[in-house]
Amino acid sequence: MRNALAIARKELGIYFTTPLAWIIFTAMGFLSSLFFVGILGGFKQVQELARQVTWAKLPPDYALFKNLTDGVIVQLLGTVLIITLFVAPFLSMRLFAEERRQKTFELLMTCPVRPIEIVLGKYLAALGIISATLGITLIYPFILALFGSSESGSALEWSTVTLGYLSMLLLGATVMAIGMFISSLTESQMVAAFFTFVVALAWFALGMVAQQVDEPVRSVITYLSFDSQLRNMMKGVFDPKALVFFVTIIVLQIVLTHRAVDAQRWT
Amino acid sequence: MPMIEVTNLTKRYRDRLAIDHLNFTVEKGEILGFLGPNGAGKSTTMKILTGFLPPSEGKAKIDGFDVFEQPLEVKKRIGYLPETPPLYPEMTVRAYLRFVGRLKALGGDNLKAEIDRVTKATGTATELDRLIGALSKGYQHRVGLAQAMLGSPALMILDEPTEGLDPKQRAGVLELIKSLAGKQTIVLSTHILAEVKAIAQKVLIINRGKVAAYDSIDKLSEGGGLEETFIKLTSA
Repeated sequence: MRNALAIARKELGIYFTTPLAWIIFTAMGFLSSLFFVGILGGFKQVQELARQVTWAKLPPDYALFKNLTDGVIVQLLGTVLIITLFVAPFLSMRLFAEERRQKTFELLMTCPVRPIEIVLGKYLAALGIISATLGITLIYPFILALFGSSESGSALEWSTVTLGYLSMLLLGATVMAIGMFISSLTESQMVAAFFTFVVALAWFALGMVAQQVDEPVRSVITYLSFDSQLRNMMKGVFDPKALVFFVTIIVLQIVLTHRAVDAQRWT
Repeated sequence: MPMIEVTNLTKRYRDRLAIDHLNFTVEKGEILGFLGPNGAGKSTTMKILTGFLPPSEGKAKIDGFDVFEQPLEVKKRIGYLPETPPLYPEMTVRAYLRFVGRLKALGGDNLKAEIDRVTKATGTATELDRLIGALSKGYQHRVGLAQAMLGSPALMILDEPTEGLDPKQRAGVLELIKSLAGKQTIVLSTHILAEVKAIAQKVLIINRGKVAAYDSIDKLSEGGGLEETFIKLTSA
């Protein structure tokens, strides 16, 4: 395990000495702040409207805008989820592809280190960097908690916010695992990033295909899509099935990556 | 027990035979010069000895351990400088050597002392806090060599350790390798015959994947000298 930690440390060091991590952080901060301002503006408009005509006269789906948690944070985290799908492949692309390209893979494979330690070390670093990227958006709930108010005490429902972040972390961790596996198959970071993005986006949006097919295929496809798995958690309902679903995919990707790295010994 | 024991080692890449039933042994403490024209299979053999590539046939043992069956035991005993030095350009020399040292299970004061020793020996001590990417090619190569020396492995496998160095640096690196004779076993490949003459006790010449000659340097230098022997053996 000491070896895995040494590798994780090296990976994180490289993320932060190259511009990549900072570019991704900036992109996440910039894009999420645009959505935050937009969503907050919409929330304010509905609130004004409700004050003039009362909630009873507004269409029922406007009830969402009664509190900051459902009206702003849940909406915002939904968009951050999509941003994550776009940025995570850029963070995972270099994990193995870069080692192969600059021939340092040869160093790792001839040091007294087990392949599984290399894979786990890399994944640990991947988890760290995606958590930091998502962590940037924590500033919005804190802004709302500080300056917002509600009729029932606390401005935000922290359990909903926490589950929202748990969902984002699960998705981010899953895309990083997929990205790590794809990165272990190629020398080109571009190819790795592109394919990771295609796979993650397709997997996320499987639910749309499900609408076009009949049962029982529809249920299966719906079950497999990231979007439908996350739906409950994003609304603040803890869903252990989703947790198991994502952890299973992550473990599967780690096993596949290990096979790909270990294959070096056989071919 | 010999340090390296190679029996019928063969490597096939699809339709191409890179090395063909190699047999040789290297005793502990020897310096072996590994010669051959380009594409003779030198790098492939070295990659198999370090456990990076699996052989298609045959066996290779390092200090009694099979490279394929017990790779971890083998890797604990070797320091390896591949053809392209395996460097991370975005790391400083110090951070890089620390990283490799940790992977070789060195730690604490021991690691510090080792980094001190290898950077002094390779003349990179003054560059410790510079980014590897900012170093000249010669320095980068020497950092690669420093990495292979970390922890004084029983066997050092050096693939063209003097490539890309100027004459003065070449002499320095050869002197360094020579000073390790007896303490460590060293296999170095090169296509510069003068280098082998200067430091190696034994020479292994391979041509088209086969052993063309394996003998002490004096024996091979008989007659017209090492150059002539080399040209005669490899022009076949």
